[in-house]
Amino acid sequence: MLSVNNIQTYYGNIQALKNVSIEVPQGSIVTILGANGAGKTTTMKSIAGVLKPKQGTITFLDEDITNKNPDELVRKGISLVPEGRAILSGMTVLENLEMGAYQRKGSIKQDLDKVMERFPILKERQSQLGGTLSGGQQQMLAIARALMAKPKLLLLDEPSMGLAPLIVKDIFQIVKEINEEGTTVLLVEQNARQALKIADHAYVLETGRVIKSGSAKELLKDSSIKEAYLGH
Amino acid sequence: MLAEIINPYYLQVLSFILINIILGVSIYITLSTGQLSLGHAGFMSIGAYTSAILTLNYDFPLVVGVILGALLAGIVGILIGIPTLRLQGVYLAIATLGFGEVVRVLFINWESLTQGAIGISSIPHFGRELVTGLRDTGFTADMIGIRNNQLISLLVFIILLVITVLLITFFVRQNHSRVGRAFAAIKMDENAAEAMGINITYYKVLAFAQGAMVAGFAGALYAHVTAYISPSDFAYHRAVEILIFAVFGGSEVIWGPIFGATFLTAMPELLREVSEYRYMIYGIILVAMMAFRPQGLIDHEMIYKIKSRKKKKKKVEDDKKERNRHGVGS
Repeated sequence: MLSVNNIQTYYGNIQALKNVSIEVPQGSIVTILGANGAGKTTTMKSIAGVLKPKQGTITFLDEDITNKNPDELVRKGISLVPEGRAILSGMTVLENLEMGAYQRKGSIKQDLDKVMERFPILKERQSQLGGTLSGGQQQMLAIARALMAKPKLLLLDEPSMGLAPLIVKDIFQIVKEINEEGTTVLLVEQNARQALKIADHAYVLETGRVIKSGSAKELLKDSSIKEAYLGH
Repeated sequence: MLAEIINPYYLQVLSFILINIILGVSIYITLSTGQLSLGHAGFMSIGAYTSAILTLNYDFPLVVGVILGALLAGIVGILIGIPTLRLQGVYLAIATLGFGEVVRVLFINWESLTQGAIGISSIPHFGRELVTGLRDTGFTADMIGIRNNQLISLLVFIILLVITVLLITFFVRQNHSRVGRAFAAIKMDENAAEAMGINITYYKVLAFAQGAMVAGFAGALYAHVTAYISPSDFAYHRAVEILIFAVFGGSEVIWGPIFGATFLTAMPELLREVSEYRYMIYGIILVAMMAFRPQGLIDHEMIYKIKSRKKKKKKVEDDKKERNRHGVGS
């Protein structure tokens, strides 16, 4: 569905990605693991169109999307949940959700109901300002907002960041459910164990390069991965 | 009777308040996407000079001059807005401040067109133009029992009032539309807005150009109300003055800069003694506001409270009515 071919992305003169290639098959959950500064977020931003790779191509549903802008990509069905949640703290929960459907035309009522059903807490708090929610609720709001765009591919950038372990579990469960209902997911995580549990495939990034890839099951057993990311 | 009520001096003060309100609205629009501009005096001068020169030298009708002045300011706004897109906060302020100075120096030195530092005088005054027009249709001031200069001031005030109300209505409506939502999202969090598929470039340039156009519009009106403009009217002082409207009144809601412009324009007129210290007071206001109420006097919370109090009052009344009706019924 999505294939990233040898992209190189720079911040000014600093090269952040050196030939990163990633395949995301339709209907799967693919995760990108790696330490801080490995280039995970840069990869996500390059796919979402926020950053433009200097070299390499990105294709989505057999269409070249390498230099497209984020708003076009949202229309094409790629939604990003940015790192650190990035909800609109001065708008209400409901307004946040409506903003998620910014690029859509026609009625969004049905999808609003559906999203509220999945996240009952958001329904309860719908007229509260986004900034007053707890961290976990904000993350749910960010995911719910991305779903409002009806994405075919959902990009999740570290959804577990700064959240309590129990809530992390909930979030990953939700991600799995979303995937089972047909949305392809690309997940960036530092929480390697949780991510590998729900993912089909995984890539490990280190200093802007893919150093390992394979099925999630294989990587869970891989001794070097265990040592570096799982803490055994 | 009307002759005793109408005081041309007060009407003129009110007219300046209205022009300043339009300027306040112009800075509000730019600020509503989080862009801090100190170039609004520059945009204002572009509107003023364009309209003044077109009507004076080329005999353009006044209305056409004002519209072209506003449009040119808007176009320059787009040209400035695009390259400064990536600048944020204080860097954008410095860049736009530089722009304002460049425009001012240009008007000082382009003497063949602008008469340099002397300025342009005897610009068609739109009150007088209107009165002349009315006279042709057979209407004169003494028909409603007032003097000619009273009629002029009255007409200027009424027209400015209508324009201001229309402008405010337009931007209040825009705030509740798709565009307004996009502006608000960009101001709150640009990254989040981008992730939602909002075209940041488009909306930021749109806000900047709208702000520039409205400032140019205000400038053009100013030229035809004072009938005299010079580059010093649009110096750094003016840019700060416009910004102060928003800093003092608040830039979160449109009513903030409107209140700021009204209060700060009326204040030196009401307290004649302090008008000399105007800029000193502006400085004090800036420092005090930053320290105690950085969001300005009128903010979201205040509007929210006013609205909910109204609702509550209404509810209490409704309840009372309901109870009375039941009381009668039983």
